[in-house]
Amino acid sequence: MAKKRKWWSGLLVLSLVGVLFTGCSTNNNATKSPNATAESSASAASEAPAASEPAAGAPVDGGTLVMSTFSDIVNLNPLMINDTSSGDLAEFVFAKLYNLDREGNVKAEPWSLAADVPEISADGLTYTVKLKDGIKWSDGQPVTADDVVFTVDMAKNPETGSPLTSLFDKVKTVEKVDDKTVKFTMKQVYAPFLYSLVQAVVPSHVLKDVKPKEMQTNPYGTDPAKTVTNGPWKWTSWKQGDSHTLDADPNYWGEVKPHIAQLVYKIYADQNTEVQALLKGDTDHISAIPVTQVEAVKANKDIHIIQKPGAQYEYVMFNFDAKNFKDKYGLFTGQKTRQAIAHALNRQGMVDNILKGVGAVMNAPFLPDTWADPGDAAVNYDYNAETAKKLLAEDGWVAGKDGILTKDGHRFSFELQYNAGNSRREQVAAVIQQNLKEVGIEVTPKAIDFAAWIDQNVTPGKFQALLLAWSLNTPDPDSESVFSSKYFPPAGQNSGWYKNEKLDQLWVDGYSTVDQAKRKEIYKEVGKEISTDLPYVFLYQYGQAIGTGPRVHWAEEDAPEPSLGYGQYFHAIKWWVTD
Amino acid sequence: MTEYLIRRVLQSVLVIFLITILTFLLIHAAPGGPTQMMLSPGLSPEVFKQQAHNLGLDQPVPVQYVRWISGLLQGDLGYTFKNHLPVADLLWPRIGNTFILMGAAWLLSLIIAIPWGIYNSTKVYGLSDQSASFISYLGFAMPTFWFGILLQQWFSLKLRWFPLSDMHTRGKEGDIGDLFMHLVLPVTVLSLGFLASYMKYARASMLEVLDQDYIRTARAKGVKERRVVFHHALRNALIPIITILGLDLPILVAGAALTESVFNWPGMGRWFVQMATQREYSVLMAITIVTAVMVVLGNLLADILYAIVDPRVKLGKQGGKAA
Repeated sequence: MAKKRKWWSGLLVLSLVGVLFTGCSTNNNATKSPNATAESSASAASEAPAASEPAAGAPVDGGTLVMSTFSDIVNLNPLMINDTSSGDLAEFVFAKLYNLDREGNVKAEPWSLAADVPEISADGLTYTVKLKDGIKWSDGQPVTADDVVFTVDMAKNPETGSPLTSLFDKVKTVEKVDDKTVKFTMKQVYAPFLYSLVQAVVPSHVLKDVKPKEMQTNPYGTDPAKTVTNGPWKWTSWKQGDSHTLDADPNYWGEVKPHIAQLVYKIYADQNTEVQALLKGDTDHISAIPVTQVEAVKANKDIHIIQKPGAQYEYVMFNFDAKNFKDKYGLFTGQKTRQAIAHALNRQGMVDNILKGVGAVMNAPFLPDTWADPGDAAVNYDYNAETAKKLLAEDGWVAGKDGILTKDGHRFSFELQYNAGNSRREQVAAVIQQNLKEVGIEVTPKAIDFAAWIDQNVTPGKFQALLLAWSLNTPDPDSESVFSSKYFPPAGQNSGWYKNEKLDQLWVDGYSTVDQAKRKEIYKEVGKEISTDLPYVFLYQYGQAIGTGPRVHWAEEDAPEPSLGYGQYFHAIKWWVTD
Repeated sequence: MTEYLIRRVLQSVLVIFLITILTFLLIHAAPGGPTQMMLSPGLSPEVFKQQAHNLGLDQPVPVQYVRWISGLLQGDLGYTFKNHLPVADLLWPRIGNTFILMGAAWLLSLIIAIPWGIYNSTKVYGLSDQSASFISYLGFAMPTFWFGILLQQWFSLKLRWFPLSDMHTRGKEGDIGDLFMHLVLPVTVLSLGFLASYMKYARASMLEVLDQDYIRTARAKGVKERRVVFHHALRNALIPIITILGLDLPILVAGAALTESVFNWPGMGRWFVQMATQREYSVLMAITIVTAVMVVLGNLLADILYAIVDPRVKLGKQGGKAA
């Protein structure tokens, strides 16, 4: 019996060893929810990306690069893409008419379908696009003007339900001039249209008989065997929820060929699992390291991190529709009240503490250091509780018995909604609650499941205030669809029912000229007006930390560019891997 | 027995049918749908309305249900809404993956828990019993995902003994040794949970039996302790355990969402969570059906096993529990 007991105690010791020998704590904040910016982390530093190991030497051909994400694709059909993962993969398998350079200019690169920048008529109403010679689909068929016309017509047709609709809704007609030339005629001068041409097209010879209504359920875009592409890599296989394999297309038409023979796009359960995989070497590239884990990853010398603010900004949106408030008493109607809230929020503190310094305070919906940035023309609200209190008093708010401000018998108390599972927003919401409490405003943060939130609150414009971000998919500053009273819910995206006639007109003026200098002046005026009137409190521009493992290399001019949409794969055609 | 089985199966079909109606209503009552999962500036909500229309998601819920159930009766589990992939093709591999993971954890914990629990019931409050209690509390109290992350940190990232996550190393699909290595950590996590409860059940059930008059009689007659335990007590002590096992059967296919997520295991648990956030109705319904069938089967199996191990139970007449 005594012998047996020894055996048992041995087992006990063994079982405890495994438990006690685990000395490190891990962040277990698993966040995974699609959201306005399809991310849940933020971080960036304002330093230019460094080149990879110079010792890596000249590019080598071959090898496999493993990239990762935390949500699988939906559909690779360029007409239907509306999620980050599908957009990611499409970058590798589809060529676009035009591509952006690092500064965000529209260029005909060696890997673009167009031969040269579009010809724009003097009146700004027609755009002529010439395609390169010799461009081909992966089935050997040539890419022609028919494909471009077919794509645009399909996108414009409301029955298709294509997210591209908005890119082409100002196009009156799209015509084939000859096999290699397409002419777009606009309904009006619309400057941002140039960026709509940074777009992939679909093969008309494959899809010409598909009814618009059936485009969504057609296997093109969801079955690799049926998805004819025209980019450097081909989509070879898809294991749903697990991984995608892309192989360099031996028949790729471009002069610049990809170095990397195979790309694997791996799907992890969430960002934390992704970070672990990067540390282990199971993946070579992740697009977004959660802000809570950047420091831990930095400790690993093998991992290269690129941090820079990106093309996205966070904001607090006010609702101007009184129906959403108790007794139909809109709390945000007073301009001074909104300005007070802007003063009460410690935006720089959010950047320093939550974004760990990787971000920049913003005062208008234009990214800092871009041509439309109004700079000092926009009002900057410094963090000052006293100024906030003064403005609130001027607007008629007085402290009630419980310390919360009241006006006309209404307490200044509102609900701030955001999407559940976004750790950055959770922290920011808590700061907002604290900051506003200090000036006598009661905030109740409320996290809601994303799908439900969009359906019940954001789209119909039913909320009091919300915390959200816009990811700017083009470098053009036009934001009419978000701020103009033309776009009230439920059909438009001005979810806060904001109406400002001066701004409504300025947005139209802004896109109705292609003269850059004129536009700059107009957006300066927009910046001044919008930062005074405050439909939103603009918080900050933020970025994602891109992490790459020791196997990935690029020349300096081909490094990832976080400030562009899909910039984490900037010039991936020129990257190479070593083992 | 045959008559009893037929009756039970018919009852089960009715129950499953009711479950489908209830689940369908519940799932569709959740706000949001499978179409709009992104916001981007300039993208009109009208686009998503059109997409929902193209997919038939704007039809009344009863109409959608009838369409779904008639598909099911023809053996068709339908298609995912977001990308129109056949649900069945996605479902079966995941059931298999989950079954491998959960089955291994379940078996391992049974092999350890039952003998250990029984041993402890004969040596109450001994060192072995105390340590088993400690492990049980640990198993109940420790959040599985946290334990999983700890194991990953230590055994995968630091010591590099085991793979971090996934089911296979890329290019080694089908390699049993590779699969085994990938199983070690997640199975350890899951076993701890199973172990905790099975050990407690085995011990408690055995203690109860050992306290019975007939055992005391056997001991008084001078029967050897070993024979008392294995011959007289064990069979009776196993009865409640068998019930628990039957009721746990659905877990083998439903999977464990957190553990599967931490270890990136391509199984049902992780998939269910993903599909719930994306409102993939047809997938959620398919998983519900499979789980419901397993619950019913598990119950039935427990009853039959009950009759086998306990001669006092007669199925069919008044015996047998209602499912």
